[in-house]
Amino acid sequence: MSIVVLILSAAIVNNFVLTYFVGICPFIGVSKKIDSALSMGIAVTFVMTITAIVTWIINRFILIQFGLPFLEYVSYIVVIASLVQFVEMFIKKTSPALYRTLGIFLPLITTNCAILFVALLHTMRGYGFIESVVFGIGAGVGFTLAIVIMAGIREQLETADIPRPFQGAAITLIVAGILALAFMGFSGLLSA
Amino acid sequence: MILIAAAMMGLIGLVFALFLVTANARFAVEVDPRIAELEERLPGVNCGGCGYASCAAYAEAVARNGEKIDLCVVGGDDTTRDVAHVMGVKVSDEQKDKLVAVVFCQGDSEASAFPGVYKGIPDCAAAIYSQDVAKRCKYGCVGLGSCVESCPFDAIHMSATGIPYVDAEKCTACGNCVIACPRDLIELHPLKHDAFVYCKSLDPGPIARKVCKKACIACNICVKAAAADDNPDAVSVRDNLARVNTRNYSAKPEYGAKCPTQCYNSNRNLVNKEAAMTRIAAQRRARAAAVEA
Repeated sequence: MSIVVLILSAAIVNNFVLTYFVGICPFIGVSKKIDSALSMGIAVTFVMTITAIVTWIINRFILIQFGLPFLEYVSYIVVIASLVQFVEMFIKKTSPALYRTLGIFLPLITTNCAILFVALLHTMRGYGFIESVVFGIGAGVGFTLAIVIMAGIREQLETADIPRPFQGAAITLIVAGILALAFMGFSGLLSA
Repeated sequence: MILIAAAMMGLIGLVFALFLVTANARFAVEVDPRIAELEERLPGVNCGGCGYASCAAYAEAVARNGEKIDLCVVGGDDTTRDVAHVMGVKVSDEQKDKLVAVVFCQGDSEASAFPGVYKGIPDCAAAIYSQDVAKRCKYGCVGLGSCVESCPFDAIHMSATGIPYVDAEKCTACGNCVIACPRDLIELHPLKHDAFVYCKSLDPGPIARKVCKKACIACNICVKAAAADDNPDAVSVRDNLARVNTRNYSAKPEYGAKCPTQCYNSNRNLVNKEAAMTRIAAQRRARAAAVEA
């Protein structure tokens, strides 16, 4: 499978948020402003890429080598938790403002299922090293794309005249559903 | 098998632990311990009443830049004392009067003329920008509740007739509604003061009266009443509007006894006033007792 097809597949056609419905919590939680949505997307993309690299190495040289495939989940969780800790330290040091904007959602990347999903999926599909890395980047880009689009719509919704029963969480979920429908339009593009 | 699995998990854990330890040492951020302590003592509602974006920002300003310690209006004297304690400075025991927001408009759906219905963005400022306010009076409350939205304490609400009223128990005088009102109808005044002119209309009497039954028509009756009470600087009329002197708060509710439009009266856009006053009195007694003991 060529790299371009893989990245397109992960980012758009099989968008993690809008097709597989993983990583919904930050997708709803941090999509109020485009700025913070974009930084969340970048943080998730970073963690996803590094996770893909490290988990591929662990899978290839430890789990397969020693015949321990059942340790997949446990070891991947350890990897993700450590990486998120690292990203948190890094952001706290380099950008306190961003650190405050992301707030609780930064440590919550740990439990962002989209990241574990990347690790599990590249193992399951038996991707090579380059493919795994590209897959991680593509998935991250897809997540960023989805969350930024969502934030853009929600910024417009702020001033919209929404019927009372639909205000707040209800309209957000409806918008997410319509967005997912729209992304279904890409499904004929590739078969991967 | 189990041994290998355990060993490998241990190994992975160890490697990451070492990695995090190094990273922690490398990216350590020095934090003034007083900041965390101050944050704990501040109310934590992030209302912005002190002029900083959040309680955390104010705590940082106090600890790092020596900002004034008595800016938290929400916590009042108690918080000032807590902050002083953390910072190791002394404060005087003088008590500040509790302030509450006062809404200076009585033009509700019964008193005011409403020639049309507004159907745009539900926000007072938006209605004014679009020149599309339903109410005739161009000084009065727009009635779309931007002040209600702005209140972090749930202390200001819309009455059934479309004028906001303030809950004296919940109002902390953070000033968010004062900023939110595009017609500057909300001000902060001491809770115990009673007499105000609840109107901001600068229209001349005949026009003011036509658009609102409760508008000030600058008839000077309250000014004369104040003069008769040997208190001439309590109320004055300027630009077609009677104004209560808010430097000395010497005006009395009686001056409004003959007000033809009842715009001069004792606080009407306020609820729970008695409860708030009783609570404050009780708190002061308790504090005085604690100081003596």
